Amino acid sequence: MTAELSFSNEIINMMYATHGNPISLCLQCGTCSGTCPAVEFMDHTPRAIIGMIRENLKEEVLASNTYWTCASCYHCTVRCPAGIDIADMMYVLKRYSIWKRSYKEGLIGPDFAEAFVKMVVNSGKSYEPILATTYLPRFTAAQLVQEALTATGLVLKGKMPLLPKKIRRLKNFQRMVKRIIPLGEAS
Amino acid sequence: MKQYAYYPGCSLESLAKDYQLSALEVSRALGLEMREIEDWNCCGATAYFPVDELLAYTLVARNLAIAEKTGLTDFVAPCSACFKNAYYTNAYLKKDPDLADHVNFALEEDNLHIAGIMNVRHLIEVILEDVGLEEIRKRIAHPLKGLRIAPYYGCQILRPRKDHEEVENPRYFEDLLSAIGAEPLEYASKTRCCGASLIITNRKAALEMVRILLKEAIDRGADVIATTCPMCNVNLQVYQSQVNREFGTEYSIPVMYFTQLMGMALGIASHRLGVAREPVPKAREAVTA
Amino acid sequence: MTARIMMIDDDPDFVAGIRAILEKAGYNVDAAYNPKEGFQALQSGIYDLLLLDIMMGRGAEGIALARKIRKDPKLRAMPVLIITGIREQIAFLFPGQAVHPNFVDVDELVEKPVEPNLLLEKVSALLKASEEKKPQPQ
Repeated sequence: MTAELSFSNEIINMMYATHGNPISLCLQCGTCSGTCPAVEFMDHTPRAIIGMIRENLKEEVLASNTYWTCASCYHCTVRCPAGIDIADMMYVLKRYSIWKRSYKEGLIGPDFAEAFVKMVVNSGKSYEPILATTYLPRFTAAQLVQEALTATGLVLKGKMPLLPKKIRRLKNFQRMVKRIIPLGEAS
Repeated sequence: MKQYAYYPGCSLESLAKDYQLSALEVSRALGLEMREIEDWNCCGATAYFPVDELLAYTLVARNLAIAEKTGLTDFVAPCSACFKNAYYTNAYLKKDPDLADHVNFALEEDNLHIAGIMNVRHLIEVILEDVGLEEIRKRIAHPLKGLRIAPYYGCQILRPRKDHEEVENPRYFEDLLSAIGAEPLEYASKTRCCGASLIITNRKAALEMVRILLKEAIDRGADVIATTCPMCNVNLQVYQSQVNREFGTEYSIPVMYFTQLMGMALGIASHRLGVAREPVPKAREAVTA
Repeated sequence: MTARIMMIDDDPDFVAGIRAILEKAGYNVDAAYNPKEGFQALQSGIYDLLLLDIMMGRGAEGIALARKIRKDPKLRAMPVLIITGIREQIAFLFPGQAVHPNFVDVDELVEKPVEPNLLLEKVSALLKASEEKKPQPQ
């Protein structure tokens, strides 16, 4: 218990409660990469990321967009012959990078996750149009116009209400959240 | 009428109102009473896990605990992401007493307690198992004859695997579409991801993922793509025009919830299914023919 | 007798830093890097003090673990010092608000980074208080 920990051990520790097998069992077969529907948009394939974690290439792993490009479709997880929950590992990397503010610059994923959680903690519900405003600054002008057209179209088509809803027992709900996340005034 | 604790989820109040309408109409027509649980909250979709998984389980557990109070046995979600979150939260809390204890400590603040007694199910599963294909066939007033449908399962209804069920080549959606008189197509991409929230966080990747799904459906001559999840439905339908701009394609294929298609076959008026807003001439032809 | 301190924290750099400070001051320090192994190590019953992180593994696990320890008849009396960086780690959620471990009966809470002298002061005070609480052998 006294030896200094490597990055791979840090990740293994963060995955202590994973429902799959430890990543040390990875065979490097590449089934995950061959399965992943988003692999061509990743800096490194899922197989490579597991290999890099095992080689303790901390900076390279964290600086990649791979784990924030995972859409949580779990196709790799159900196909992995070593029984590793690879999608869960991607969540662990996301969490690691949020807690340590060590993700690649320019990604929308971390902002989106934070905005989403914040919105739910404030209202008890999620509501797409409000979420949009939080990540819009990251968009280019052309994307902005496009997004506005899509959103307006949805409202006009009656697909979206103008205002988000809130749950009734919001105060209880927020106290409940604070029992899990011990931040803010405890009431 | 069998009663169910119904959890619509946030999308069904906004982007997927048509799913909400059609899910409730079809359930009623099939003798399933969906009783919406009171004061439910967001299930967190996929966004809590990168921040705090314990919080994710707690928020989902609140909905399950509210459902337990109704005395009903089945927790039904029409959204695949909500279904997956509820299913696994329920299962994990049962497996891990420490986790359940901690979550219940938080639930005390809303005078709730979760025992893990709900049977968590997706709406399509309830319709298939509790009504059954035989009974559905009997009730079809307007079989959707000649309507070629690509059955799109998506991800979270299938994965991660819950038990020993078929996740690579499921057939139940095809069977359901056959039962309502339609022609289900062999659709190789049926379990391929639609991009989900990447549509916001990595637009380029998601549009390519949507393009692949649209292309196969159109190449196979589908008249409509059928979905079981609001997120899939929105990505495939709303973002079609963006796919066309990005890739220079001219895709124009209707995307409908399985409940909308079922409702039409059951003879429920289109406007009560939220179908009036969808350009589905072929589907209407099939119904009125 | 030298006091034995258990540290449960997922950050190896932080553990190494704190260990160096405490060992220089003459304490015995063991470390575990996830809550499960940490709790298992505590079962040995040989520790006089626990230094506990909050954000580990799935989330704010330190709070759950502290609650579990306070319910455990063998470990209930052990002093616990929470050392957390939670405000930095998920600062966006409740910006500027204080950390409150009010739901857990822990002995002290300090926020990272920890000033060495303050740490040694707290550790020695907690150990002393705990020693005084122990029933004296006749």
